[in-house]
Amino acid sequence: MARVIAIASGKGGTGKTTLTANLGICLAKLGKKVLLIDADVAMANLSLILGMQSSPITLHDVLLGEAQVHDSIYDGPQGIHFIPSGLSLDNYKRVDSERLSGLVSELTDNYDFILLDAAAGIEKNVLSALSSAQETLLVTMPTSPAIADALKTKLVAQRLGSKVMGVVINFVMGEKGEISKQEAAGILELPVLGIVPFDAEVRKSFMQQKVAPVSLRKTSSDAAREFQKIASRLTGIKVAESKIENQGFFSKLFGKFKK
Amino acid sequence: MGKGFLKLFSSKKSDDTSKPVSQVEFLRDFLSKHNYVFSNDFQKNLEILKRKHLVDSFVVTNFDGSIVAASEDTSQSEAIMGTAMLSYIKSELSDSEAVLIKREEGWFMLFALDKKVFIVRAGSELASIELKSLALELSILLEENKEALKKERKIIG
Repeated sequence: MARVIAIASGKGGTGKTTLTANLGICLAKLGKKVLLIDADVAMANLSLILGMQSSPITLHDVLLGEAQVHDSIYDGPQGIHFIPSGLSLDNYKRVDSERLSGLVSELTDNYDFILLDAAAGIEKNVLSALSSAQETLLVTMPTSPAIADALKTKLVAQRLGSKVMGVVINFVMGEKGEISKQEAAGILELPVLGIVPFDAEVRKSFMQQKVAPVSLRKTSSDAAREFQKIASRLTGIKVAESKIENQGFFSKLFGKFKK
Repeated sequence: MGKGFLKLFSSKKSDDTSKPVSQVEFLRDFLSKHNYVFSNDFQKNLEILKRKHLVDSFVVTNFDGSIVAASEDTSQSEAIMGTAMLSYIKSELSDSEAVLIKREEGWFMLFALDKKVFIVRAGSELASIELKSLALELSILLEENKEALKKERKIIG
């Protein structure tokens, strides 16, 4: 029986889709059977991050009752399975996102983890994603507007009966004005499951001939290593630090010179 | 190589940020206003549910219109009207899940679950997912209250 986890934030641009893609890959690296669902039916872009934008049958078709759910599942990188949302706006208004929950429950027996990439905001299609998941993982940034929106999302998730398991703080740069891990945990009253540093390698992952998440393209990057640690915390599988490719100060410094 | 070395250090910007202390305090305070702790007092628990689900009032009835529980004392007319309306719509459109009516003073919503009718009033409309989660929580409260009353009766007996 899969653990169904919605990845949500309230605020846009916090890295929900990036976390969903990379966490899925890292969970698969730990031997887990993983399904990613792009539950952002309006602004779908998980398929772009995975480099799988040309998928003919999408979640839109399933929610419209025009396709079977199993026909919308694609093989993704690292053995993950993936249900994309349609990129076109044609069907978006016709889609009944409230059917998502029934669709997810059809699939729980086949996976260890089902990750739902929720949209920003707390509108109907976000509610659908949250209520389809037993657990919610919040993604935020170390700034007060992002934490405020995460707080509201936490309350909405709880209202819908989804257990909020923790928060991942993304884009951490170590500046004095950032809200610290302890403060974020205190405000949200949640455990912090990961601190993902701001890493140019994540951005560069979208700027390739063949787009691939950083956890595949640059496993030694700071962000990729943190994604692997989050996966490890979720599964309880300990990964030796040496297995998560380490990059010391000097290799980073010489790496800069090479460029 | 020299160019790369200089670039590395020149790109290091000075950190002129500082902690938004008052905002951190504000956010800390925010959650304390949304703490929903249920007690043994059934009527108080209904009030908590109202606040948690952001609604103005609700009534739970049987399909004959008799009230099972209500957040307000003056819910009889709403109960009869709501149940009759839902029965009529269900007879015409049997697969309808919820009925949402926009009225001058807000939204009036009808939802059926486990042989009960949930009649909800709120300032803005709730998605049927939200109505369902409210109905589920109410059902749990009703069940707990029923058990508590049974126990009470046993002690008295």
